[in-house]
Amino acid sequence: MKDTTATLIDGKAFAATVREKVAGHVTRLKEENGITPGLAVVLVGEDPASQVYVRSKGKQTVEVGMNSYEHKLEADTSEADLLALIDTLNKDPAVHGILVQLPLPGHLDEDLVINSIDPAKDVDGFHISNVGLLGTGQKSMVPCTPLGCLMMLRDHLGSLSGKDAVVIGRSNIVGKPMAQLLLGDSCTVTIAHSRTKDLPDVVRRADIVVAAVGRPEMVPGDWIKPGATVIDVGINRIDAPEKGEGKTRLVGDCHFESCASVAGAITPVPGGVGPMTIACLLANTLTACCRANGLTEPEGLTA
Amino acid sequence: MTPDPRLLLGKPVRERILSEVRSLTNSAGRIGKLVSISIGDVPEVAVYVRNQARAAAAAGLPFDQEFWGGEVSQDECKALIQKMNDDPEVIGVILQRPVPDHINVRSLQSAIHPLKDVEGMNPASIGNIVYNDVAMAPCTAAAAVELIRETGLDMKGLEVVMVGHSEIVGKPAAMMLMAEGATVTVCHHMTRSVAMHSRRADVIVVAVGKPHLIGADMVKPGAAVIDIGINQVVKPDGTTEIIGDVDTDAVKEVAGWVTPVPGGVGPVTVAILMRNAMRAYERQRAAGWRA
Repeated sequence: MKDTTATLIDGKAFAATVREKVAGHVTRLKEENGITPGLAVVLVGEDPASQVYVRSKGKQTVEVGMNSYEHKLEADTSEADLLALIDTLNKDPAVHGILVQLPLPGHLDEDLVINSIDPAKDVDGFHISNVGLLGTGQKSMVPCTPLGCLMMLRDHLGSLSGKDAVVIGRSNIVGKPMAQLLLGDSCTVTIAHSRTKDLPDVVRRADIVVAAVGRPEMVPGDWIKPGATVIDVGINRIDAPEKGEGKTRLVGDCHFESCASVAGAITPVPGGVGPMTIACLLANTLTACCRANGLTEPEGLTA
Repeated sequence: MTPDPRLLLGKPVRERILSEVRSLTNSAGRIGKLVSISIGDVPEVAVYVRNQARAAAAAGLPFDQEFWGGEVSQDECKALIQKMNDDPEVIGVILQRPVPDHINVRSLQSAIHPLKDVEGMNPASIGNIVYNDVAMAPCTAAAAVELIRETGLDMKGLEVVMVGHSEIVGKPAAMMLMAEGATVTVCHHMTRSVAMHSRRADVIVVAVGKPHLIGADMVKPGAAVIDIGINQVVKPDGTTEIIGDVDTDAVKEVAGWVTPVPGGVGPVTVAILMRNAMRAYERQRAAGWRA
């Protein structure tokens, strides 16, 4: 392995500290207010990856002392039945967060389903009103992955104010909310994407690079300004013949070795952004619970 | 005198949009009315309403002016707006600002149904913009985009620098331009060097409210400069004048296009409001709200 000068931002360890913080607040809420935050997760069908996510979310929810409500529905569940369940969860005062695991089976209208969740309980931050609230700098529920990136950046850099940030990728679930969050923290933000003319040059200006395009190792080290902080959101599986025939490995959107030799700090893949996502889901559930009960929101756990 | 070709004037764009709406209203038959709500007695609001009424008349859109007394409560306002949401006669609701201090304007904007939100102020409407559904965008942001389009520049890959990130102009305009394929950089008061960014931009959009913030030395030769600022300044002789955020006279020597203030973005904004009203009508039909 080549020289790595960059500090590794350990998402796994940082996620653990976020969960610890959440757990501390949950204990306090129980003792002082007699409230236990509750997260409902709705899974429709039997997509194996989704089942893994849901299990892992449920486990971590319970570990921080929250109530976890899992609703597993048959793959052929009708839209009306799903909407009825969401309506029940919207009205249930024990449920502070609702997450509908995506993707949904083809016969269900994802937009309609997501937008039927009470925005105050929309812990994924995908409801169109939350998108608009975040887009206009108002209090909202913030999507988990970009929130995790923001927390890591704040933790590593302190104030982000005045820094030049480039977000590569303009997806609805990462790129766009990430740009909004960085603007909220007073970065000068450029959103680069497939149409951007001179991407290397745009990236080279940045003190903060957030790569979220889903293309394996597309950002090489010579695009990175020396000392920049690199957050790699991509998780791509590629062939790894060096590990044996038919073997694969996970890589990010950034070419790790070359970027790490230039950057000031970088998140690895795996073990960087990934572990933060569920931790932020728990943080969002806690935030939603505090707001629902008119209590002060815990500091440092949302935008 | 022929106008300076470097000045990107709002009036022709306004007239084109209004006549497009006019041809739609002409063929649509009876379409209901646009309703403007003014709360309390605010002199500047009267000017806006008069401008909108004039544009509505040009577009062939019925325009109703409601004046609610300054003592009306938040709940009463909300109830009245909800009635308009349900009223098939109403195609769009305009909530004039500013409002009296005891009124929470954001809460009222959220009460306007997105299908009747012709100003694009409901968070759900902004959410649609973020998700690339830009049909009913906030009027000033949409006017800026319309003027950029007027230059004929290809939006795909265009380097746009947005100066100012206000929630009703800067942020939605940035999202709309990104939806069109531009590479957008958003600068603001914490940006270390606005000039460093603006000097490489194909298009600069400025909305900060600082008179003559953008000088010729901040503009790349041939760039388009869209000035959304409206600043009232007192001249040495004691009279006042309205100027933009761009030093227009200096910048036009360098830029390919610059919008004047007044006469640039402003006139287009009101026309966009009428276009939004027509789109609201069409969306309400598509949603089965009206025949």
